[in-house]
Amino acid sequence: MWVGCTGTHYPPYPHLLNDSDISLALRSLHRNEALSFYIAISPWLVGFLLFTVGPMMISLLISFTDWDLLTAPLWVGLDNYRDLATDPLFIQSIKVTLAYTAAYVPLDLVGGLLLALLVLPRFKGVGAFRTIFYMPTVFSGVAFVVVWLWMLNPNGGLINLTLGWFGIVGPRWLLDPNYALWALVMMSFWGWGRSMALYLGGMQSIPGELYEAAAMDGADSFRQFFTITLPLLSPTIFFILVLSVITTFQSFTSAFVATNGGPLDSTLFLVLYIYRQAFEFFNMGYAAAMSWVLFAIIMTLTVLLMRSQKFWVFYLGGRSE
Amino acid sequence: MKMLFRFLSVAIMLSLVLSACATATPSTPSTTDGTIVIRAGTGDGGDGLTPHQQIIQNFEDQNPNVIVQLEPVSGRDYYARLLTQLAAKAAPDIMQIGDDAVPSFVSKNAFVPLDTYLENSNFDASIYLPGLLDPGKVDGKQYLLPKDYSPLAVYYNKKLFDEANVPYPVDGWTWEDLLATAQKLTLKDTSGKVTQWGIQLPAAWTTGFEYWVAAAGGSLISEDGKSFVGAMDSPEVARAVQFYADLYNKYQVAPQPADMNSFGGGNSEFANGKAAMMLFGRWPQGGLKTNPNISLGVVAPPKDKVRANILFWGGFGIATSSKEADTAFKYLSFVSGEPGAQVWKDWALPAVKSVADSSGLSKDPIEGVWIGELNYLMPRAYTFTPFWNETADPALRKVLESVILDPNADVNALLAQAAKDAQAALDKIGE
Repeated sequence: MWVGCTGTHYPPYPHLLNDSDISLALRSLHRNEALSFYIAISPWLVGFLLFTVGPMMISLLISFTDWDLLTAPLWVGLDNYRDLATDPLFIQSIKVTLAYTAAYVPLDLVGGLLLALLVLPRFKGVGAFRTIFYMPTVFSGVAFVVVWLWMLNPNGGLINLTLGWFGIVGPRWLLDPNYALWALVMMSFWGWGRSMALYLGGMQSIPGELYEAAAMDGADSFRQFFTITLPLLSPTIFFILVLSVITTFQSFTSAFVATNGGPLDSTLFLVLYIYRQAFEFFNMGYAAAMSWVLFAIIMTLTVLLMRSQKFWVFYLGGRSE
Repeated sequence: MKMLFRFLSVAIMLSLVLSACATATPSTPSTTDGTIVIRAGTGDGGDGLTPHQQIIQNFEDQNPNVIVQLEPVSGRDYYARLLTQLAAKAAPDIMQIGDDAVPSFVSKNAFVPLDTYLENSNFDASIYLPGLLDPGKVDGKQYLLPKDYSPLAVYYNKKLFDEANVPYPVDGWTWEDLLATAQKLTLKDTSGKVTQWGIQLPAAWTTGFEYWVAAAGGSLISEDGKSFVGAMDSPEVARAVQFYADLYNKYQVAPQPADMNSFGGGNSEFANGKAAMMLFGRWPQGGLKTNPNISLGVVAPPKDKVRANILFWGGFGIATSSKEADTAFKYLSFVSGEPGAQVWKDWALPAVKSVADSSGLSKDPIEGVWIGELNYLMPRAYTFTPFWNETADPALRKVLESVILDPNADVNALLAQAAKDAQAALDKIGE
C-alpha cells in the first residue's frame, strides 16, 4: 500500500529534470523524505481520519436522513435543512449565539489584554497573580458554573448581597430573560486568563530595543503602547480573535448547567439546541443538519477573519506569504 | 496532492474496516460453568441504588445459577446511552425507564411485549395497586412492569398552621379553599416584606402542571393525539394557568422560583419553615419527615371542576436485544413483583397491593394519602402522542415561565400562541 501511496509525485525541481542522474537521486531523496514524513505523522493522521473526518462525513450523510438511532435511517434529502428555516427555536438559538459572541469576543480581547498588562511587569509575587488569573481556565466548566450559580442567586447570592450594601436591588439574573444571557457573559470573564496568557507570550516576544529606541525619542508609555505594543501584538490579537469566535459559537456548558436554555429560551445556544434535538428527542438527522449549519457559519467567519488580516495584522519581518 | 488523496482513501477504507470489527463485541459476558449473567440498567444513582442491590442479592440467593449485573447511569444522558446501546445490540437485558419515555422507546422497538410471558408464567399481574400497569402499556400491550411511582399531593407544616390558628386542609378541599388558606398563612412584616409564604409551587414544571389542567376539567391535547389547537388554548386550560399565575403574582402567596432550571423551581422555603404548604411529588418526603422545622402533614391536591391527580412512574422492561429473555423475565417478575415490593416499600411507595396493605402503608395518615390518590388518576398528555416532549412541552413551559415572571402576561394570547407553535411542530413531524 505504501508503494502505491508514494508512486506518483509532482516534479520538485523542474529545471533539473533534464539531467536524469541528479533528478533520479533527488527524486529518491524526496520520496524518502515524504515517506518518513507520513510515517512520522501517521498516528495523528489515522486518529484524525478515524475520529474526526470519518464521523464528520457520516454526520453529513445523517443530516440528509430522518434517524432516531434505532430504526433504519430514512433518506429525506434536504428536508432537514428546509425545516430549519422555519423552526422558531433554531432561529432563536442563532440569535442568542450571535448576541453572546458579539458580547463575549470583544470583552475577552480587551479584558485579557488588560490583565496581561497588569501582570506584565516583573514585580515580587507577579507569578502568583498570573497563576490566580489563569486558574479558572483550568477548572472544570461545570464546577465553575456551579460556583457562579451561588454567586448569582437573586436572594442571598454574593453579587446581589454586595449590590444590596449600596442600596441597589440587584436583578434576578438567571431568572430574568432580560438578564440571563448577560449573566452568562459575566460568568465567561473567568475565561480571560486564557487570552491573558497568550497576550503575555506575545508581549514578551517583542524586542526590548524597540522600547529603548522609542524612550530615547521621548515617547511616553501610552505612545509606546499604541505604536509598538499594539501593532506587534496584532498577530496575537488575531489568533485570540479567531480562537474566541470559534469557541463562543460552540458555547454549551454554562447554559446547559445553569439555565438549560431558559428562561423563555433567552440562553438557548445553538449547540444546546443541537444537543436537545439529538440526545433528548433523538432527531439525529435534524441535529446533524444543524451541526453542519454551525460548521458553515464558523467556517465563513474564520475565512472572513483570515481575509481581514491584511488590513490590520502586522507581522514583524513581513508577511510570510 | 494526488498522493495525499490516495493516502486518504486508503486510510478511510482502513477506518471503515476497523470500525466494522469493533461492533462485533458480545453484549452479555459469557461464562463457562452454566451461570447466566443478565444486566440491569437503571437511571438511579447514589442511595437509590441500595434497594436495587438488595433485591438483586435476594434474587441471586434464590437463583444460584444467575448473576444480575446492575448498570447504573445517572443524569440526563441515561436514555441517550440506552438507545446507543440498543443500536449496538449491547443494551442491558433489563432496562428501567420513566413514564414519558415509554411510548418513544416502544415505538423504536426497544422492549419485548410481555403478554406471552405473563400468560405462560404463574405471575399474577393483578397484584398491583390501581393504575400502575397503564404507564407500561402501549396500544393495549404490556411492555413494562412498575418499579415505583408518585402522584402529587400538598405537604403542609402543622407548626405554621397551629401558630396562625388555621385548620389543616382536608381531603376534598377546593382551589378556593387553597387560595383562602394560603392567604391566611402568608405573613408580612411592618415594611410589607413577606416573612412567610402560603404555598411553595413547582414553578414552570410542565408535567406537574398537568394536574391543574386536569382538575380544571381541561386537556392539553385532543383525544386522537393530533391537535393542540382547540385543547391547549381552551378556557379550562386558561383557567388553570390564570389561577396558577395568580397564586404567584396577583395574590402573592407563593414565592418566586429561586432557580427556573432546577426541578420544581429550586425553592427551599417549605424546608426552611418559611412556607406553610408545598405541592409536589413524594420524592423529598423522607427529608421533610425528619426536618426539625416541619411537623409534616399531607393532603390530596385540591379539586376544581374535577377531583384529579397525575402519576409519575418508573418501570422495568426486557430489551429486544436480550439473549436471555426468559431469565430476564424471571428477574423482572421478582423485582417488580411482591419480593421486590417488600424492599421498595422502605424507599418508595410499593406498587404491590398486598405489600402496601400488610405493611400498614395504605392506612398510614401520610402514605395512605399518596396511595389513595391512585383512584383519581387522569391520563398524562404524553400518552396521546409520542411527540409530546419535543412539540408541546417547550411551548407549555414558555407559557408557564412567562406568567410566573411577568405579572401582566396575557394568558389567553400566550396559550393561543403556544397551541399554534406546538401544532406547527407536530404537523411538521407528521409530514
